[in-house]
Amino acid sequence: MTASQPPQHTSPAEQMVSTTPEMQPPAAAQLKPTERPHPLTPLVRGWLILVAIAIGWGREIVTSASGDQFEPGGLAWFLPVIGVVVLLAAIAGLVTWYFTRFVIDDEELRVETGAIFKKSTKIPFERLQSVDIIQPLAARMVGLAELRLDAGNSTTKLRYLSRGKASRLRDYLLTRAHGQQASIRDLDQEAAASIFTDLGVADRPLVKVPPQRLIVSFLLSTEWLVPAAITIIIVVVTAALAALPYALGGLIPLLIGMLTLVWRRLIGMFNFTLAESPRGLRVTRGLTNLSSQSVPIDRIQGVKVGQPLLWKPLDWYRMDVDILGYGHEDGDNNESNASSVLLPVATRDEVALAIGRVLPGFDLDAIRLQPSPKRARWLRWFDFWTLRYGWDERTLITEHGWLTHVRDVVPHAKTQSLRIEQGPLQRLLRLADVHIHTPKGPVNAVAHQLDEQAARELALSQLDRARAARAAERQHRNVEAVRTDDHEGESELLAAFGIGRDQLLGSGGESEVFAIDHDRVLRLYRNSHEAPRQTAAQLQVLYQNWRGSDIGVELPLIIEMGERDGRLFTVDRRFSGRNFSGWLQHADVTQRRPALISFLDAAERVQHLPSPVPGFARLIGDGAPRQFGTLTELLSNMLAGPIQSSRDQLERDVPDVATVWNQLQSDLAQRAVAPALVHGDICPPNAYLSQGVQGPVVTGIADFSPHTVNADPLMDVAGALIFLELEPYADAAADAAWLEAVAVARHGPEIVRWIDVYRRFYGFYFSNAYEFDPTLYAWCLRQLGRSGGFQ
Amino acid sequence: MEELFAPPAYEWKRLSPKYRSMQMLTNLVIPPALLTIAAVIVGVTSGKWWISGLIWAVAVVIVIISPPLVTRSWRSWGYVEREDDLYVTHGIMSRSLIAVPYGRMQLVEVESGPLERAFGLASVSLKTASPETGARIPGLTPEEATRLRDRLTELGEAHASGL
Repeated sequence: MTASQPPQHTSPAEQMVSTTPEMQPPAAAQLKPTERPHPLTPLVRGWLILVAIAIGWGREIVTSASGDQFEPGGLAWFLPVIGVVVLLAAIAGLVTWYFTRFVIDDEELRVETGAIFKKSTKIPFERLQSVDIIQPLAARMVGLAELRLDAGNSTTKLRYLSRGKASRLRDYLLTRAHGQQASIRDLDQEAAASIFTDLGVADRPLVKVPPQRLIVSFLLSTEWLVPAAITIIIVVVTAALAALPYALGGLIPLLIGMLTLVWRRLIGMFNFTLAESPRGLRVTRGLTNLSSQSVPIDRIQGVKVGQPLLWKPLDWYRMDVDILGYGHEDGDNNESNASSVLLPVATRDEVALAIGRVLPGFDLDAIRLQPSPKRARWLRWFDFWTLRYGWDERTLITEHGWLTHVRDVVPHAKTQSLRIEQGPLQRLLRLADVHIHTPKGPVNAVAHQLDEQAARELALSQLDRARAARAAERQHRNVEAVRTDDHEGESELLAAFGIGRDQLLGSGGESEVFAIDHDRVLRLYRNSHEAPRQTAAQLQVLYQNWRGSDIGVELPLIIEMGERDGRLFTVDRRFSGRNFSGWLQHADVTQRRPALISFLDAAERVQHLPSPVPGFARLIGDGAPRQFGTLTELLSNMLAGPIQSSRDQLERDVPDVATVWNQLQSDLAQRAVAPALVHGDICPPNAYLSQGVQGPVVTGIADFSPHTVNADPLMDVAGALIFLELEPYADAAADAAWLEAVAVARHGPEIVRWIDVYRRFYGFYFSNAYEFDPTLYAWCLRQLGRSGGFQ
Repeated sequence: MEELFAPPAYEWKRLSPKYRSMQMLTNLVIPPALLTIAAVIVGVTSGKWWISGLIWAVAVVIVIISPPLVTRSWRSWGYVEREDDLYVTHGIMSRSLIAVPYGRMQLVEVESGPLERAFGLASVSLKTASPETGARIPGLTPEEATRLRDRLTELGEAHASGL
């Protein structure tokens, strides 16, 4: 393959490498322009301090008025003092603002503060855990927002930026925090949050809490009713005894407590919206102070679903989560702290939706719970009938309480440690508690008052489940690590083409693709991928053959091929438009469905491409083109390799795999069809989308591969439907079902049967994915587990 | 009953007898000494020596009941290193058993206060991401404490998993 590499290509590359001694001279870092926060910042901060003083002082007056006489004479003396304090605060604010500088660009995130003691905080992008936007009322009125950066245990605040800038920086930083390349220059200038909702443009609201519901739920909540009832009782009793003034000392703290509750639960949670952003979930809330907080799903350690007694008839729930590193015992809180409230009040369906995002595939009500034994009533006479616990293969649930019914859910993989406890009375009754420890937060999973034997079993088996879940996670991570393995020799190769890693367009299991210019891309094959040279050469020939044929869909073309430092690369024609898979994540259903129809159209057109050989054949791979007498022979040959490596795994995971296999063979033997070209892996990541006259349509099919064969053209139709289920957006499965209905309407009901057969075929064909892609393997198992078979 | 807290197929490792001696000292010497001082002060200042008598009676009761309690408490402690987790148990009236998977340990600490040092003792505590874990093994000999720390750190690294 090296011979085919054009020699003129290497020489400029070598020049480039040799004339660029360093990536960047160190001096450049010092000269980089830094920015100050918005100039209105000192004003806003001065105002906030004034408000704080007013509130503190007001509280002072109220409390002192309850005891002694209120003296208005003190006020005249007090005002100038306040004036001086505010002035000093404003000067301090001005100084702080003047000496605060920050840099957020493609290379680094750095914040410098301090007039006398200089402090420079540089946060590596990948250490960022969350980026939140807070808009206190005063800042909000002048269009400013605070950007709060959480990394590890430290929080860095940037106060204040203009709202648009804050939300753009947030989107950029979150992209970088997820290890993706992006350039700050490419930021969408439109992506500013609004003054009312603070959602980014890419955010899709999942749950909005209407104000009426929030208010009603608050008035019915136990936390509100208990102090309210106490207050009323005190007032009535003391009024009856004509002793009301004496009770004021006790009533006022109670009232302040209740006001605080109103502030946190009503004002703070007003307009609560749980949204799905490209980077996990996002919570925005607040009436006066608006805050927008991202919820990193992989850092969620547990879920708590609570229901105060009076919410029961309304079927409302509250949902909190443990987020690693947030650690507030009492989860809510308003302007200043990150909150662990995922939903302040929600219906059953909304809770199910949110749980589906946090713990995909988990159904709160599906787990069978076991009650604690009857004799627990001697110790928990107040709530023994509510004590229950249970688990499934992924999570453990404990349940208790009737005044506020609480369910704590802990995924096995997040279990920290366990404790069995037994007090002297419990010993008499042969009962014990099992505590499941999670990181700091609202979730506190305790299985109360189990039978001794059950407690021991629960604890020991939970340790095993937690261990298994951790091992599975570790394996998953290792797989991820292998996929993003070393980039050795890559930067030189990229430099040879005059591009950098920030030109990365996408990466798959076999290669990474970088943009060279508008018309060409560089495809860099992974070292680990087997036999890429032969594949690339065979594809080059195949694509060359198709240059003359127009099927109304753009096709790939390999312009040149080469090798450098043992890495194979090709220069391919660049597809117009954007990747279909990436687009699907953010498109709404009205856009998606027409685009999916055009995707199906494209899949159906592939069969019209000319094939280099007649009959059933494998077109790429060892000895290709290899011809076969029948469809069954071809497909069996295709399955032989994958099955060989995944056989043991499948025998473990599919109960009657032999039956499924035999059924597939006999089904395929019944298929009579004329051979045509089959792409073999028609899925959204391999398709490109452009803006058409009537909206976005699929205009390109990329990445023919060893899956490409001469076989049943229905395979690509089936593939377009069934691989869609693998897309990581919420309604992928629903879209796939819908698209299947479209295909059935086009081709007649008899294809349902064949789609089902090809589901099982691809289930076997990709089953060797258990080694490197657990999601794909799980999909395969689902295909193989389908009822299958027909007569 | 006992089997609730027994480790499956393992023998508990017990604390050093010196830990019992230390507990004896703190329970048998210090409270009676403090009570005696209090009794003398009360007697001298108020002249009501019968109150002092009562205080001394309390001291006597403590001296009588302490030894068996201290011994039982010392015996109730136990720990065992299993393949994948560490078990710690203790308590006479309220009993507890903590299981900490090695993969979850974030920090292993060896501590030794002045009194513990005087008795040649050290304690080992384990920290996970959960503040509730609170697994602490007191009353180990320094050699055993160091061995346990090194062993646990090693196992922690071998089993380490993210959060």
